[in-house]
Amino acid sequence: MNIEEIIEEFQEADFQETLAMLLDYSEGLPKLPEEFEEARDTGYNRVAECETPVFIFVRLEDGKVRLFADVPEESPTVRGFVALLVDAFDGSTPDEIENAPGNLINSLGLDQKLGTRRMFGLSAVYSRIKSEVKKAQRIQ
Amino acid sequence: MADYIHPDVLVSTDWVAEHQNDPGVRIVESDEDVLLYDVGHIESAVKVDWQTDLQDQLVRDYIDKEKFENLMSEKGISNDTTVVFYGDRNNWWACYAFWVFKLFGHENCLMMNGGRQKWIDEDRPLVKDVPEYPVTSYTVSEVNESIRAFKDDVMAHLGSGNPLIDVRSPGEYTGELLHMEAYPQEGALRGGHIPGAANVPWATAANEDGTFKSADELVSIYKDDKGLKDGDDVIAYCRIGERSSHTWFVLTYLLGFENVRNYDGSWTEWGNMVRAPIEKP
Repeated sequence: MNIEEIIEEFQEADFQETLAMLLDYSEGLPKLPEEFEEARDTGYNRVAECETPVFIFVRLEDGKVRLFADVPEESPTVRGFVALLVDAFDGSTPDEIENAPGNLINSLGLDQKLGTRRMFGLSAVYSRIKSEVKKAQRIQ
Repeated sequence: MADYIHPDVLVSTDWVAEHQNDPGVRIVESDEDVLLYDVGHIESAVKVDWQTDLQDQLVRDYIDKEKFENLMSEKGISNDTTVVFYGDRNNWWACYAFWVFKLFGHENCLMMNGGRQKWIDEDRPLVKDVPEYPVTSYTVSEVNESIRAFKDDVMAHLGSGNPLIDVRSPGEYTGELLHMEAYPQEGALRGGHIPGAANVPWATAANEDGTFKSADELVSIYKDDKGLKDGDDVIAYCRIGERSSHTWFVLTYLLGFENVRNYDGSWTEWGNMVRAPIEKP
């Protein structure tokens, strides 16, 4: 599903359905490829603003964005949100990610359903992905 | 060796394993992460979320009496049910939920010593199925605000010479950090502490495995080192009132102080309030 379809699905979901969808995403987050483990273990690519240890790795392959992430299973809400982003954006073009809605958390209704206090870390993760994609483009 | 003043308020993981299906007992899991319970929980436990269940979604306050009554009946909790709390992060949120239940006057509240982590470390089972209990009828007869301090209470407390306990980390207390490390969303515009407050980080009261320290150790920390005396009127605060509910629990039940209030507005209110007095070392 692309991000617009995911937004639509979340907008139609009630509180329990939202939790169930996030939990499904959380369980489906692909394991971080071995090549990134060393960087993660030395603390590189951690999203500092998020209280949960979230690690995001972005690279470009044939003009497409590849997105890899690691989030502990004990933080299922953040893990679910990150897995949603990986699902939506892994394989997208940099333009698609740049043009994705800035207020994604609001569009998904997560601030309304989960409470605003939990949202800061999630926005930080989302901004980080956008900025990493730009960085990857500059390096190329 | 001294014992806790109210040792009966603590139960072990063994006790919970044995009594979780007793008809008069309800196990409540309260975590920081709203989904953690759904990943796996103690079989008979229900979830109570600190934010989506216990807080009002519009005003910065707790839910009202009617909403608490509805929450209790949905969770199958009656006025005479013994509620046993446990949760993640050394029972921070379990203590917070325990405190909110006391605010609404729930009589029989117990805490599972060591929380979720201890249960997992002991290789005890977790399940995903959410148990269902018959709806109960629940009545809140009186909201017990004697355990809650508002900013005006804290102002009045300042000049009285009564102790204030700041349970945040030393960096937050001295004002070097405007928020708890890694929790920037709960920041404040000013750093420092409420004048006269003593700094006793909440975790001082916890062992590595999340259980509470012994009575002797707690006496040494709060009475010998920080000078709290029996009969003292104490206010504890942190940044949003969750770490201080852990300290409120320790002072009230383990050390037996009878007048302890949790200032839930805490630093996110005080450190943002115009003209609030602040001390910086």
